[in-house]
Amino acid sequence: MAEALTRRSALGRLGAGVAVAVGALRNPAPAGAQGSSPAFGLQESVQDGLKRVFGGRPIKDGAAMIKLDIPPIAENGAVVPVNVEVTAPMTPASYVKSIWIVADKNRIPMVVKATLTPESGQAFVGVNIRLGETTDVRAVVEQSDGTLLMAKREVKVTVGGCGG
Amino acid sequence: MSDIGKIRIRVPSNAKAGDVVRVRCLVIHPMERVERDAQGKIVDRNYNYITRVTATYLGKPVAVFDLTQSVSENPAFSFALKATTPGPVKVTFVDTHGGKYEGTAELAFA
Repeated sequence: MAEALTRRSALGRLGAGVAVAVGALRNPAPAGAQGSSPAFGLQESVQDGLKRVFGGRPIKDGAAMIKLDIPPIAENGAVVPVNVEVTAPMTPASYVKSIWIVADKNRIPMVVKATLTPESGQAFVGVNIRLGETTDVRAVVEQSDGTLLMAKREVKVTVGGCGG
Repeated sequence: MSDIGKIRIRVPSNAKAGDVVRVRCLVIHPMERVERDAQGKIVDRNYNYITRVTATYLGKPVAVFDLTQSVSENPAFSFALKATTPGPVKVTFVDTHGGKYEGTAELAFA
């Protein structure tokens, strides 16, 4: 009986090992920076992150077009709802291609990248993010013609929610 | 923990053809954050967090999210879509441990 049990648990462990290996294969990211894509999930400063993702492309002020809806004071940094809405047409000819949410002082500043299609109908995304400390939160919008727009707002964080 | 991958999707019930509707979805997931040892060095292991969320409507993608560990535990997402015909809204989550979770909601017209 005991023998059967050990064999079973050994098999189970083997199976788990295979699952982990498959997961590792699907995400061939360098150790310590296991992001979803190479442009993501790195521990860096916000300037480095913006430079890495957008290169030297100019980022225009988009405060008039981008509505950044975040609570000004987040009591719990572990859950901060961020809603971004862009008043821009969503037609196949001209649409908002992607929206990045960037938290300046997080160790991983490039928090979320949302990719949209003309079928979205409206450039709107909302995500709950973590904030480590009081920081500026930016939304960077890339339009289908490559124009970059940015808006930012400060969020005061009472209790940080970012271990990393 | 057995709740990992449980998905809730909310679509408006009073949509009409041509409307832009907003969909909210939530997944139960730990979204493990980076751990550090006493020296402040990062513990190197395969953290379990969701890297990609794909939302489709009538089989066509409407929004794709790429996530990092800076996203909250049990993450919630909202996105918009242009309602043309009643049909399924499907959201797929993929995490770093190879887990794949799917949820569907039917968008019905009032």
